[in-house]
Amino acid sequence: MYRLALNMLFGDRAKLAMLLCGLSFSALLMAQQTSVFFGIMSWTYTPVVNIRAHVWVSDPMVEQANDAKPMRDTELGRVRSVDGVAWVAPLHTSFLQARMVDGNFKLITLVGIDADTFAGAPAQITQGRIEDLRLPNTVIVDEWGAQLMGRPVKGPDGKITNVPLKPGDVFEINDIEARIVGICKVRRAFTGGPFVYTTYDRSKTYTLGARRTLSFMLAEPVAGVTPAELCHRIETETGLKAWTTDTVIWDWSERSLAKNTFWWFWKNTGIPFSFGTAVALGLFVGIAVSGQTFYSFVLENLKYFAAIKAMGASMGVLARMLIIQAVTAGLIGFGLGAGMAQAIGRVMIEKGMPPFVMFPQVLLATLALTMGISIVSAIIGIVKVSRVDAATVFRG
Amino acid sequence: MSTNNPIAVSARKVEIAFGVGEAKIFALKQADFTARRGELIMLVGPSGCGKTTLLSVIAGTLTPQAGEIEVFGQRLDGLSQAELTAFRQKNLGFVFQSFNLIPTLTVIENVMVPLLIQGTKHALARSKAAAILEQVGLKGREESSPNALSGGQQQRVAIARALVHEPTLLICDEPTSALDKDTGAQIMQMIRDLSRSPQRCVVVVTHDFRIFRFADRIAEMEDGRISRVIDDSSTLEIQPHL
Ligand SMILES: Nc1ncnc2c1ncn2[C@@H]1O[C@H](COP(=O)(O)OP(=O)(O)O)[C@@H](O)[C@H]1O
Ligand SMILES: [Mg+2]
Repeated sequence: MYRLALNMLFGDRAKLAMLLCGLSFSALLMAQQTSVFFGIMSWTYTPVVNIRAHVWVSDPMVEQANDAKPMRDTELGRVRSVDGVAWVAPLHTSFLQARMVDGNFKLITLVGIDADTFAGAPAQITQGRIEDLRLPNTVIVDEWGAQLMGRPVKGPDGKITNVPLKPGDVFEINDIEARIVGICKVRRAFTGGPFVYTTYDRSKTYTLGARRTLSFMLAEPVAGVTPAELCHRIETETGLKAWTTDTVIWDWSERSLAKNTFWWFWKNTGIPFSFGTAVALGLFVGIAVSGQTFYSFVLENLKYFAAIKAMGASMGVLARMLIIQAVTAGLIGFGLGAGMAQAIGRVMIEKGMPPFVMFPQVLLATLALTMGISIVSAIIGIVKVSRVDAATVFRG
Repeated sequence: MSTNNPIAVSARKVEIAFGVGEAKIFALKQADFTARRGELIMLVGPSGCGKTTLLSVIAGTLTPQAGEIEVFGQRLDGLSQAELTAFRQKNLGFVFQSFNLIPTLTVIENVMVPLLIQGTKHALARSKAAAILEQVGLKGREESSPNALSGGQQQRVAIARALVHEPTLLICDEPTSALDKDTGAQIMQMIRDLSRSPQRCVVVVTHDFRIFRFADRIAEMEDGRISRVIDDSSTLEIQPHL
């Protein structure tokens, strides 16, 4: 009988299509909105991803990766002397205005890295070489920045196109020349503008000799010492704060800078709320649409369920038929919706806009919610069928 | 002929009322009705006299408010819904006026339903359904959709479905009223031929006097009760008031 229940479901292609549309749409909406949300949230710890170090050291008051409380350069020596430290490199980050050749100002994130080790350098340099940063007044700009700071140029056909910055181009930071020697590819950040890389020492020049420029220190443990262990040693010996750089935000590793950054934004900004509203809306629309289509499926078949009931099917059998129908529709709808979300996500990841991170947890939650919608619909159907009088089969 | 056969259905002083207060209508008023095994009995009468209601009581889909109903020695009044369901599953076959075939299932799947409800294995149910479909002349149409069939063919599917699990009580409510005269007669002939068995009782509700000749006995209903029972249907050729 359960096989027939499925055949009943698949027999009406138009109804089934409607039902699957509703279910997959809601699954898509939920998975998609949540993934964009986590994508945006993952941008909050972009520095941790881009900088690639095992241990970050900061002022003890720092709470997250975008919150630099500059330290004195002498702190480098203190950390270097901690047992288990292989090396330490300085890192500067600050938000500055850059002036383009045409006189326009753009907000940038200046990143100063150690010129000896290049610790914290971008992983992917698409044009130029990192070593050229050792030349005077040079910077490396990320692709997004190259686009953003590019110049509109009128072509021979009169069409205006944006010509991105390229190696050799020059702009100014605080009236000091910045000559581009490379273009890199890095992940975008939640705060500030595009990334402009320079050496740590030159970042002091660009920031006009600010008293403290040591935003973070990047440290590497010697072989046999775990990052977490090194963090512990650094903290106890220097009184500074040390962080690990794993980007798992779900576990409870207290030292993860990415995790602390993520949850800091979660607690201190309105993003979770506004996105929560979007996700709730998706869920709501999903429940309404698919609940409604499943309900109309049941209504349309009520007459036949009544006939089956009259022929002696127990409520248990009828209930199981409805649950099988609903759960099957729910599973297919989830599959389609999650598949679509993933396909759209792939395009988004390629473009980098909007950010998209689909955690398995999100998929599981979407599955659970889609199943929930199906089960609720089935229960409504079961109540409806249980109320239908078997005697109605004799009435036209 | 069948007057000495064992009693299959016995209704005594059955009362059914619909609605409450001013709007209360008595559909059955102290109705008495008896049918025996081995006979085809017709329940006839004008529209609204209570035929379908009485049939529902006999079928165990409607519980009377007063009176007794006994089918194959089993009292139906007082049974729980679950017990009534089990009773119908085992003993009853239905043919409805509006066929009530499930349009999203194939012809053979529709016929398999009563067997599957009883827990028969899918393969066995299929072969039994195929066999009875052949008997009603629908071999080759097993995989069709019911909607692709004519009214007469659909009712033949319904007959196959009603008999596939060999019920001892076959209940037919106006089986020919959605069909033309010739098709109606063919269907009635088929019900009569296929359902005939010394163990089985067939109750056919109709107000189509053209098929009266297929009955062994005719119980005439009027205003919620049986007004007379005619043992020889040939005496009842044309009744203009029906
Ligand atoms: N579910 C119901 N609710 C209210 N009245 C009903 C219902 N079913 C039947 N009736 C009434 O009971 C009477 C008998 O109906 P029915 O048994 O269907 O007659 P028949 O089948 O002989 O045409 C009619 O007056 C009808 O209107
Ligand atoms: Mg009727």
